[in-house]
Amino acid sequence: MTSTKNRQTLWSRLTNPKYIMVYATIGIFLVIYAFGAVAYGDKGFTTLRTFVNLFIDNAYYGISAVGMTMVLITGGIDLSVGAVASLTGMFLAYGTSVLGLHPLTCIAAALVMGVGLGLLMGWVIHYLNVPAFITTLTGMFLARGVCSLISRESIDIHHPMIDALAGWKIYLMRLVDGQWVKVKPIAFINFNVILFLVMIALGTFILQRTRFGRNIYAIGGNEQSAKLMGLPVGYTKVMVYGFNGLCSVLAGLSYALYVKSGWNLSLQGGELEVITCAVIGGTLLTGGVGYMVGTLFGVLLKSIIPALITFNGNLLSWWGKLATGGLLLLFICIQRFVVTSARGRK
Amino acid sequence: MKKTFDLSSLMQSKVTWAVIAELLILLVCFAIRPDFFSISYQPSTGMLYGSLIDIVNRSAEITIIAMGMTLVIALGGTDLSVGALVAVAGAIALKFLRWDVLQYHPPGDYTVCSYALVLGVPLVVCALMGLFNGFLVAKGGIQPIIATLILMVCGRGVAQILTDGKQFTTGYTPFRVIGQGSFLYLPMPIIITLVVVLAVALFTRRTAFGAFVESVGVNPSASRLSGIKAGTVILIVFALTGLLSGIAGLIYSSRIMSNDSNNAGLNFEMDAILAVVIGGTNMAGGRFSLAGTVVGSLIIRTIVTFVYYFGIVAEATMAFKALIIAVVIVLQSEPVREYFAKRARARARLNGGAAA
Repeated sequence: MTSTKNRQTLWSRLTNPKYIMVYATIGIFLVIYAFGAVAYGDKGFTTLRTFVNLFIDNAYYGISAVGMTMVLITGGIDLSVGAVASLTGMFLAYGTSVLGLHPLTCIAAALVMGVGLGLLMGWVIHYLNVPAFITTLTGMFLARGVCSLISRESIDIHHPMIDALAGWKIYLMRLVDGQWVKVKPIAFINFNVILFLVMIALGTFILQRTRFGRNIYAIGGNEQSAKLMGLPVGYTKVMVYGFNGLCSVLAGLSYALYVKSGWNLSLQGGELEVITCAVIGGTLLTGGVGYMVGTLFGVLLKSIIPALITFNGNLLSWWGKLATGGLLLLFICIQRFVVTSARGRK
Repeated sequence: MKKTFDLSSLMQSKVTWAVIAELLILLVCFAIRPDFFSISYQPSTGMLYGSLIDIVNRSAEITIIAMGMTLVIALGGTDLSVGALVAVAGAIALKFLRWDVLQYHPPGDYTVCSYALVLGVPLVVCALMGLFNGFLVAKGGIQPIIATLILMVCGRGVAQILTDGKQFTTGYTPFRVIGQGSFLYLPMPIIITLVVVLAVALFTRRTAFGAFVESVGVNPSASRLSGIKAGTVILIVFALTGLLSGIAGLIYSSRIMSNDSNNAGLNFEMDAILAVVIGGTNMAGGRFSLAGTVVGSLIIRTIVTFVYYFGIVAEATMAFKALIIAVVIVLQSEPVREYFAKRARARARLNGGAAA
C-alpha cells in the first residue's frame, strides 16, 4: 500500500477483494431467501415475521459466534462454548429455582465462571503451549461434567425478573394513514435479538477500530511476526479467550431466556453450530481473516435452512444437516479458491 | 551416571507420563476396591470377567478409532468425522439386517440381506467417506479439521435419512458375536482391537509407511521433494481412519443390537483425539506412538470406571475426565518437560562434579 492510497473512496473500500468472502455469504443468503420467497411466498415466507424469527431462534448462536469469530481469527478454536453456555443456564436455573438466589447473583457467578475459564484456557494455550483444540476440549468436558453434577434433570426457571426479561418485546410497527399499527402477521424483537445485534456491533468495533482488534488480525496472520514486531501476543490471546468466555455466558443467558429452563445436556454440539456459522460467514479457520458482518450473515444463512424445511413441511429435519454440510463444503471450496488466487496474484 | 541419564530421558518421554498416570489411577481403584484386579471365569459364557477385562473391552471402539487418528494427527491434522461415521456404519448394518422394516417383524434371529453385505457395505461406505475427507485434504489442500467438519456436521443426517429416522433392533446371532461374543476366553471386541492394533503397527512399522507419515507430518513439501507421494499417504491414512471408524461402528451397534444415529459414536472424535494426545503424539504432527495411544485410550476408560466406583452419575464422568486429562496435559506440556529436563541435567552435572 502506498501512502496515496490512504484516502480511499467508499467505493474502492467496498470493492476491496478482502471482503469477497463476506459478499459470497450475503449473496448466497439472498439467493436462498429469493428461492424461499418464490417457492413458499404464498405460505408467508417473505413476511417480516419469518425474517425476524431467524434472529429470535438463533440469537444465542449468534452471540457466541461473535466471540468465536475472534478466536478463529487468532488462529485458535474454542470447543467449550456450548458447555459453558449450558452451565450458565444451569447456574441460572439451579440458583433461582432451587437455591432461591437473585438472578443477577447467578449471572454474576456465571460471568466469573465463564470469563475465568476462558482466561485460564487462554493462559494454558499460550504459556503452556498446549494445542487450543485439546485445552478447550478439556474445558468443554469440565463444564459439561459440572452441569451434570449440579443436576441431571431439566430445571424450569420461574422468577419475576427472568419472566419480565424473556417476555419483553418491541412490536414492529408501520405507518398506516398517519397511525402506527402493528405489522401483520405480528412480528417483534426481544431482548435476545438486541443483545445479538449489540454484540455484533461491539465485535465490529473491537476488530476494526481498536489496537486490540488489529493485534488479533496480526496474530492470526503470523504469530511469529506479531511477536517479533513487539505486539503483546500473550495478553491478546488470553484476552480473546476471556472475551469468548463472556460471549458464551451471554449466549447461555440468551438461551435460558429462550427456553426458560436449564438442562445439563442442552446445546450439545452447539460449539460446532457456532463454528459453522463463523466459517460460512467467511472466517478462515487458519486465522487472520474474518468479519463480524460475515458472521452475522453466516448465522442467518445457517438458520434459514431449517426455516425452509419447516415451510416445506414434507422433509425430514435431517435434510437440514445435510444442507448445512453442503454449504460448508461450498464455502470451503470458495475460500480455497480465493486463497489460491490471492497467492497467485502475489 | 548412566542411570541418571536414562531416568531423565524417560521423564522427558510423554509415553512414560501416560503409563505412570494409568498406573496411579489403577492403584487408587485398587485402594478403594481391593477386588479390582480379580478376574474370574464364567463357564456359561466362556468368558473371563473382571474390572480390568471390562476396561479393555469397553475401550475397544476408541482404541480402534484412535489407531487411525494417531496417523491423522501424525500428519498434522485431526479427523472430526469419526463419531458420525460410527453412526453411519451402524445405520447401514441395521438397514441391511432389517430391510423389511416396512412390514413389522419383531427383532428375530434372521437377516434380510446376506451377512457379507451387512458387514461389508458399512465398512466400504465408511472407507469411502474417509477417502472423501482425504481427497479434500490431499487434492483440495483444505485443512483437515475443516474438511472433516463437513462429514461431522452432515454424517448423522446421512445416517438418519438412510434409516428414515427410525431405530431398528435385531436379534441376529452372528451379528451379536461381534460386540458380545467371545474368543479364547476374551470378549470379542478385545480380540478385534488386538488384531487392528497389530495390523496397523505392522503396516506402519514393518513397512516404510510410518516413516512416510511422519515425514509428511513434519514437512509436506520436503517430503514431496524427496520423492514421497504426500497426497497418496494422506488419502491412505484418511481412508484407513474411515474404515476403522466403520469397524468401531459395527462393534458399537452389535453391543446394543440396534442403530442409534443420535448417540452412536457421540464425542468419539474427542475421546480418540484425547487418547492420541495423552499417548504422547504431538498435535503439530511428526513422530507418533501407537503404544502411547493404546495407553491413552485405556486411561480414558479407566477414569470412567473409576468414577463409577464412587457412585457418581455417568454424565458427570466428564468433569473428572477433564481434571485428570488436564493434569496429564500440563505435565506433558513443553515448559514443564523442559523444567524437568533442566533439573535432570543440573543434577547430572552436580553428580559428575562430585565424582570428579
